[in-house]
Amino acid sequence: MSMFKRQGRRRRDGELSDEELHRAALAGSGEAMAALYRRHGGLVYRFTLQMSRNEAIAEEITQEVFLALLTQIDRFDARRGALSTWLCGVARRQLWKYLARNDSAAMLDLDQEGAAEVQSPSDGPVELLLRHEAVAAVRAGMDELPPGLREVVILCALEEMSYEQAAQVLAVPVGTVRSRLHRAKARLAALLHEETASTERKRR
Amino acid sequence: MRTDRELDEILAQIGREHRAVDAPDSLEAVLFAAAGNRKRADRKPRVRMAWTLAAVATLLVVIATAGVVWQSRIRQWPRMQQTQSVPVRRVEPEPKLASARVGGRESVPPRSGVARRSARKERDSSAKEPTWNSLDEFVALPVSEGLPPAAELSVVRMELRGSDLQQYGLQTPADGAARTMLAEFVVGEDGLPRAIRIVR
Repeated sequence: MSMFKRQGRRRRDGELSDEELHRAALAGSGEAMAALYRRHGGLVYRFTLQMSRNEAIAEEITQEVFLALLTQIDRFDARRGALSTWLCGVARRQLWKYLARNDSAAMLDLDQEGAAEVQSPSDGPVELLLRHEAVAAVRAGMDELPPGLREVVILCALEEMSYEQAAQVLAVPVGTVRSRLHRAKARLAALLHEETASTERKRR
Repeated sequence: MRTDRELDEILAQIGREHRAVDAPDSLEAVLFAAAGNRKRADRKPRVRMAWTLAAVATLLVVIATAGVVWQSRIRQWPRMQQTQSVPVRRVEPEPKLASARVGGRESVPPRSGVARRSARKERDSSAKEPTWNSLDEFVALPVSEGLPPAAELSVVRMELRGSDLQQYGLQTPADGAARTMLAEFVVGEDGLPRAIRIVR
């Protein structure tokens, strides 16, 4: 279930919309600001974390993005798109600024083994190991992707955004999102194929 | 094909793990405070604006008051109309202007030594003390004798009484001591009068 669909349901239940919360936050309501952060902070943080591979940078950029909600009031127009995509777009711009300023080598120090994997109970030990290696290979492959392709994979494949939403975040046409995702997946598939062939050779 | 499907599955698995990550709670408190600070920061410009308006209003009141005071003082000024820095023809403090008019004898050549002496005596006495009714042209003031020549002269027009002429070394008319007349003074850059002319 997409995060965006879940938010839509919450609003239908009678919670304040993003726009109402934004107005309240601009009027000085800390509660409204905290509510917006609880609603969209995860998306922004995950995106920046996945892109930067650095928790400190991800936190810093997430904070800047939400502070921009208070300072860049005129930039957000609810008629042009959802707040979540606007926030992601701001995060992306901050991230690219950061990338331009700093050495990109500093952006690869996240412990990749830290996240727990969801495993199927029917898998045997060998399958689990193979799966583990394949997942690790794809993760490594994602890190090797150029940022322009990696961000499309994060938004469309990991965050399950639609092409239209991703296009809004990236400020590119939908067709560009499609082609970038296709290219990214082709690279990852090639990597996975290589990894699978290597594992097969080892097993023999 | 198998790899593509496998890749989609792997990406879905990575996506599930990815979405399980939530934003740090520590930022919530920071943003909560930032929104509150914004409220306070919003008030500051309003207060500053109010102070600015008050200062401007005070300044305007002060300027208006000064203007009123200035106007009232100008009205109290002793009926003086002043034309500043008007260059005028330099007036030579020659008393013959007055004597010529008063005596009307300058064109008449002296016929004898006695008559000449008499005429000179009369002219001298007229030059020293020009009468008020002979001042339709500029006449050097006796009190300006000995003053250094002025580089720039101004004409100052003012009303005065006949009795006021005395202080400039002029004869006060017997019948016009109380009479008000309009006079023009030639004043040097040092502020001292050099010559006078009665306008009416």
